[in-house]
Amino acid sequence: MALTAADGQRLREDKPLVLITTSETGQHITALNTAARGMGFRPGMTLADARAIHPALQVAHADPAGDERALIRLALWCQCYSPFTRADPPDGISLDITGCAHLFGGEAGMMENISKRLSGFGLSARLAIAPTIGTAWGLARHAPDPCHISHPRKLRDDLAPLPIAALRLSPEIRRALEKLGLKRVGDLVDKPRAPLAARFGSQLMRRLDTAMGYEEESFTPLSPPVSHVAECRFVEPIITRKGVEIAVERLTRDLADMLEKAGKGARRVELRLFRIDGWFETVPLATSTATRDPHHLCRLLCERLDRIEQRAGFGFEAARLSAIQIEDKPAQQEDMDGPVHDSGRNDISPLLDRLVNRFGPDRVTRALPCPSHIPERAFRFVSVLEKTGTPDWPAHARTVQDGADFARPLLLLAPPEPIIAIAEAPDSPPARFEWRREPHRVTRAEGPERIAPEWWRTHEDASRTTRDYYRVEDEAGHRFWLFRDGLYERAGNAPRWFIHGIFA
Amino acid sequence: MSSPQNIDALRQRIASRECLSPIRRPVLSLGPDRLDAAFADNGLSTGALHEIVPTASGDLAAGIGFGACLLTRIACLRPGFVLWALPADRGRRGGAAYPLGLTALGLDPAHLIQVEACKGTDILWTLEEGLGHPALSAVIGVLPERDRSYDFTASRRLAMRAARQGVTALILRGKTHPAMSTAAETRWSVGAMPNAPAQHAGPVGAPRWRIELTKCRKGTPGQWEVEWDHETLSFRFPAPLADRAPAWAHGTYGSGWAKAS
Repeated sequence: MALTAADGQRLREDKPLVLITTSETGQHITALNTAARGMGFRPGMTLADARAIHPALQVAHADPAGDERALIRLALWCQCYSPFTRADPPDGISLDITGCAHLFGGEAGMMENISKRLSGFGLSARLAIAPTIGTAWGLARHAPDPCHISHPRKLRDDLAPLPIAALRLSPEIRRALEKLGLKRVGDLVDKPRAPLAARFGSQLMRRLDTAMGYEEESFTPLSPPVSHVAECRFVEPIITRKGVEIAVERLTRDLADMLEKAGKGARRVELRLFRIDGWFETVPLATSTATRDPHHLCRLLCERLDRIEQRAGFGFEAARLSAIQIEDKPAQQEDMDGPVHDSGRNDISPLLDRLVNRFGPDRVTRALPCPSHIPERAFRFVSVLEKTGTPDWPAHARTVQDGADFARPLLLLAPPEPIIAIAEAPDSPPARFEWRREPHRVTRAEGPERIAPEWWRTHEDASRTTRDYYRVEDEAGHRFWLFRDGLYERAGNAPRWFIHGIFA
Repeated sequence: MSSPQNIDALRQRIASRECLSPIRRPVLSLGPDRLDAAFADNGLSTGALHEIVPTASGDLAAGIGFGACLLTRIACLRPGFVLWALPADRGRRGGAAYPLGLTALGLDPAHLIQVEACKGTDILWTLEEGLGHPALSAVIGVLPERDRSYDFTASRRLAMRAARQGVTALILRGKTHPAMSTAAETRWSVGAMPNAPAQHAGPVGAPRWRIELTKCRKGTPGQWEVEWDHETLSFRFPAPLADRAPAWAHGTYGSGWAKAS
């Protein structure tokens, strides 16, 4: 598996090249290419020793985090072979190909396909197919041939000649076994189990059992398995947007059929386009209600395909549409005289989906009342994707305003803006005030409406002062909602004035 | 030739030439008869585009308030959701729509869907999308200040889509726009109005505006001073009792404005 160099220097693959890491004990080689291996370098050597042997050695720093990212990326790309894939750091990828191999002409065909693709990416890979995870792991790393297929009946024969290291054991156990002369897996298989378990702990026996298939083993795939997936592979790589759109149309139709048969609707779907160079593009999509309308889904997805041509690289070879989140959606009887059901006309979710698709879920909102007297806490805007009941705003307004008709402004400033206000008496409304450098002379005022702080809220930076709200009107007829923050009788800092809203 | 059938037939021919839907949409009575009389159909046409222009820069709240009241009346005629598209920075600059303030005017925020867009083109796109949906009652778009994307073509697109499904479109545009022709059915200039002459101290009452119909395709322009009645959800002329200004005050408020009698 290739390691990436962090700095941009040009490195030649045909000349000896090593990657190093720096630790307290100096700079050590962590990986090397074939040419360097041929010169006798090994991982773990110090760089000083290596340089002494071959001064013209090419050196680059290893980037473990980048390696891991690339590994995960590649594991995700491998999902075009099987939905169950995982990255197995530092250098492996596991695929559960149960029920997938026949799509590529059997296990041999699949292995050849993967091998060809990976070498096409410039990766030198060792592959193994085996009935158990443990055996496949061991064969991939320690089998003499780079591509090995193990059959259930030959499991023991395949495993026996492998070194002990093929059992995924901790270094201490491995070293202890090697000291005893147990160098091959075959040496262990027929030994009595009890003394081995007593001496080396349960790990050894478990590894052996899982490798031999006596014990079940499974892994957690990178992406959770989804039950409804539509896939298509292209004969030729596609690079045009139109081509992708045609594929999306087909995929949405297939997925909608699947969902219809299951009586489900999708809330979240994901389109993944696999590029031929081991990369992929993901287009996530969320809808406001469960849907399985292929035209609607297709339209939403196609709107998200901006700049897909620039990102296509050498082309997409496969596409997959998976329903990540599904909900029950019983089949509906369509009208006998026409396909359009009346309730469908009044359903605004397609419109909401399109708006969310374009602006993002946080930009398309509806208001919900919140039980608070503090004006800025009396409501919140939630995304239309969240499921909410129908709120009773008139009742909320009655509670909050205590029966007054126009006690709340049409526009609310968030946060309230400080103003310079002059009041005739400490507890009277301001006679004039200045907001955004513009003076206003107050001709009428109503108030105060006293709103006490919510003292029980301790964890938030909620206001700690009492506010006296006034509705005022200036000479031009503009009406404002001003408040005095704090009380005069309290010792300490003087009350400040704010403007919090504008009336219609 | 002047029989009602002939006139209807002629109107239909004109409508077909204008690519508008021949379906007659209901008209919206604004409340007082004298206000409705400005329109040939005795009311504001629904399924059309209407523009609201605040008179001065400080009158944005008045414009939005007038728009919200129109939406309330439209919702009485055609219940459904209201799509409210506004620039994303509105909360910081001029204040964001406050649901409780809308409730006070009679518009139920439960039926309101707020869309925050960045550019004028996005807002116009949102409005167009909404207008194609029959379940909506109306759409309202607040254009950003100094927006150039709203022009005759854009207004024509909105007007045609509004006519197709019968969804009414309201556009709140700034005064800073250059004088240009749009395909809007009506254009309203809305400004704040003091509650009563300043000498009469008293409570701040119902919302009150000085509205001017500056453009009306089927009717006569005019100017009025109106108040919003949140009980009957209709406009009304301010009660004569409140208009006890001394004679000289009419020089500032009265001349040129249609007064209630």
